[in-house]
Amino acid sequence: MAKPTPDREIEADAALALAPRESKDWRWSLGLGIVILAVIGLIPLTGDQSALGMWTFIVMYCVLAQGWNFIGGFAGHAAFGNVAFFGIGAYTVSLVLERNMPYLLGLVLAPIIAGLFAFLLGLPVLRLRGHYFAIATLGIAEALGQVIQSKNVGGTAGEISLNPPGLNFELTNSLFFYGFLVLSLLTLLGTTWLTRSRFGYALVAIRENEQAAEALGIATYWYKVGAFVLSALPTAVAGGLFAYWQLSFDPVGEGGAFDVSISVAMVLMTFLGGAGTILGPILGAIIIEYLDQYTSISFTAIHGPLLGVLIILVTIFLPQGLIRLVQELIRAPAGVKQSYPMRVRQGVRRVTRFILSNGI
Amino acid sequence: MLELEHITKRFGGLPAVEDLSFRLRSGEVLGMIGPNGAGKSTAISLIGGALAPTSGTIRFQGRDITRLAPHQRALLGIARTFQITQPFAQLDIRENVIVGALFGGGVRSRARAARRADAVLERVGLAHKARLKGDELTVADRKRLEMARALATNPQLLLLDEVMAGLTPREVGEAVGLIREINQSGVTVLVVEHVMRAITGVSDRILVLHHGRKIAEDAPDAVLSDPRVVEAYLGERYARQRAADQARRGAETGSAAFDPPTPDDTWKEGLV
Repeated sequence: MAKPTPDREIEADAALALAPRESKDWRWSLGLGIVILAVIGLIPLTGDQSALGMWTFIVMYCVLAQGWNFIGGFAGHAAFGNVAFFGIGAYTVSLVLERNMPYLLGLVLAPIIAGLFAFLLGLPVLRLRGHYFAIATLGIAEALGQVIQSKNVGGTAGEISLNPPGLNFELTNSLFFYGFLVLSLLTLLGTTWLTRSRFGYALVAIRENEQAAEALGIATYWYKVGAFVLSALPTAVAGGLFAYWQLSFDPVGEGGAFDVSISVAMVLMTFLGGAGTILGPILGAIIIEYLDQYTSISFTAIHGPLLGVLIILVTIFLPQGLIRLVQELIRAPAGVKQSYPMRVRQGVRRVTRFILSNGI
Repeated sequence: MLELEHITKRFGGLPAVEDLSFRLRSGEVLGMIGPNGAGKSTAISLIGGALAPTSGTIRFQGRDITRLAPHQRALLGIARTFQITQPFAQLDIRENVIVGALFGGGVRSRARAARRADAVLERVGLAHKARLKGDELTVADRKRLEMARALATNPQLLLLDEVMAGLTPREVGEAVGLIREINQSGVTVLVVEHVMRAITGVSDRILVLHHGRKIAEDAPDAVLSDPRVVEAYLGERYARQRAADQARRGAETGSAAFDPPTPDDTWKEGLV
């Protein structure tokens, strides 16, 4: 075969852009997501309790990032206070358990109360735009934590200690792990549905151009409120699982249920993986939380700097996330036959161009 | 079909549109022209709902829509394009248009919305570029996309805000043809334009705005020979001189009232 000339490569690029074809990406994303979660689901079988603890955190962050993806990734609104929903979920479950009521009741109430809160909060704050919205959500989450801290329920400074479920230690840990895993799977299914739905189209249109979306007949305000409520639901259930798993509820401070760093983590993870994609939040959460846990144990000294550098690199070179990079690598022109090496070469070329066009 | 009654819009103290009243009849093409800053785009935004008037009433099909949100007006059948094109940048062309069909067009299923999008793209001549993204288009194609998206909402009233600005003469010709065809399919059209030749060719009537006020509203030929319009566009001195020229020629030939097109009329075509 003749050596492909640059001309022919350009033609291939053009054919790629022009080919009208229905995107089947979502099937791949859903399938891959299920496979990833299934593989993670094998971890309790190893019997390694410290690995199980670490991966429970990772899967929990998957859920949080997936939840943030609804408002931040799809609707494109930088909510910096989603930890409030997490905290509300944790607080609801703690109060329910403290009154010796069934745990499941708490897990059902958590998303209802957080969803209601998101709705009522969304009504005013979603009239704000850009930075003002981000700051308002950040402030309200922090304030909510402080308010709850000031109300002593079961201990000092708003803390509540919970009695263990009364099952054996390993079984309890595995149950909470699978709880988070099932929650992540459900959110994955929900996200996939969203990408195919009218609701999802509305959110993406709002993200891409709110003015045009409104002019085309989309009730932008109400769809944004809907996205905000949607993002509260899995986050609150995760908070409810977290509180009982940790056997305590602490509103503020490091590791507390209203800790602002949890909000920041959701944003970071979603952006690293790919905001507004099906798989992105899961990938981002696995990478960042794994690195975080791993380096905080083994390389304490570089733990902070490493994450800092990662954040900087992602912001500069990859604001669209890893998923976009992969899509760019594998997207193949329809109707153009190419040898495998040529496809790889073109993929690499596209990726390089893509990264460079972001950066410097 | 559409009535504006004493519409005024002030930004701070500055009036952008002042006491504007006009009627759009069902099935017609009304052109709206005026120098830069005359309030044309503001008028479109007032009708589309992106801006709320300071005072006055807007009625659509007999119903007061002055306080309705843009999306509610879209659902009633008013579609608009944007002078500064507003594509959904990361969606491809086809999906851009699908959004129009899904919401303004009231099509519930994605598959049917996609079919309507394909038909619209065919109509505006973008079908072969359906997979390009919103921010990968030329000016002409971005304008076409604006039209396609608006059409996908199946409008009764189409507001076109300078869809021909920045196009080549050939592309202007295509756009004019498209507007005619859209109009013939039963859509009432309000065309705001700077390209004079294009708008006179396509409009049944023309309305002229100057400093936010209506200074003329008539058939295209009558409007273009209106001295106030000439003055608004080219300044007082030119208007005086032109009137003098015409009077002189009239004295020579004895037909001042119906003089044939002269080199003087080139200003109408030259303005872009």
